[in-house]
Amino acid sequence: MIEIESRKEAASRTARLDAVFAALADPTRRAIIERLSRSEARVTEVAEPFHMSLNAVSKHIRVLEASGVVERHRKGRDHILSINTGSLDEVDGWIDRMRRYWEERLDAMERLLRELKKDHKLGPKDRKRGSR
Amino acid sequence: MVRGDTTGPIVQVRRRVRAGAEQIFDLWTKPDLMVRWMSPYPGAVDCKASCDLRPGGAFSLVMSSEESSREVSGTYVQVDRPRKLVFTWIGPLTNNVNTLVTVELNPRGDETDLVLTHERLPTPAICEGHTRGWGNMLDHLADAVSKDV
Repeated sequence: MIEIESRKEAASRTARLDAVFAALADPTRRAIIERLSRSEARVTEVAEPFHMSLNAVSKHIRVLEASGVVERHRKGRDHILSINTGSLDEVDGWIDRMRRYWEERLDAMERLLRELKKDHKLGPKDRKRGSR
Repeated sequence: MVRGDTTGPIVQVRRRVRAGAEQIFDLWTKPDLMVRWMSPYPGAVDCKASCDLRPGGAFSLVMSSEESSREVSGTYVQVDRPRKLVFTWIGPLTNNVNTLVTVELNPRGDETDLVLTHERLPTPAICEGHTRGWGNMLDHLADAVSKDV
């Protein structure tokens, strides 16, 4: 039971992360996040700098909301958008894990290179571990 | 780390390696050498690799210990010995989602600058709908193939 539950959790985390990565894959959406990382803003303020219709920008905002990166709340008549930094922390976590993984693998690759070089250099008389 | 910059979130590792590009390329693509450094599981007693080194060809790396066995696999997208290798990569560490790895090797005298880029690929089930997701991915693969040709 517990195993199934944690698998479910892992699957939903993966789905969430996929949605966040997909949301970040578009330059307009990254620009929207950049804007909102400075301060929360109204939808119209967010749309202003883009050379596209409010409708087109709204579509991007909806993708960001669906992924959980952007949240919307109402202040009187205005819709205010803000960033959910937690979702971006998950992306940073993924990137950190992968970076650590590759750093370790490349360390192992360099160790093997040194080993191969040593094997190559050792003549028959000073070969200690026996020939292969 | 995530900024509104020109590229999406990627992992990039750079390293100056004291070996020639050909030798490093072999470490990435010859099964008998792959098994000697690619396995991330110290407990793995048996590690097997196979690869079909051509665009569209598959590779796999299976690591077995007494209790379990794990597999990392993927498909080569670009094979340009000894300068560039691009492949998809899927395994337990990527939570079994498809990712793309690019290894670039730039000779610097007796040494080589290795640049590794690892990125997540959009999956078909994501928010924008199927066509867009796969479209992006295919564009991406096409870019990867046509760059530097």
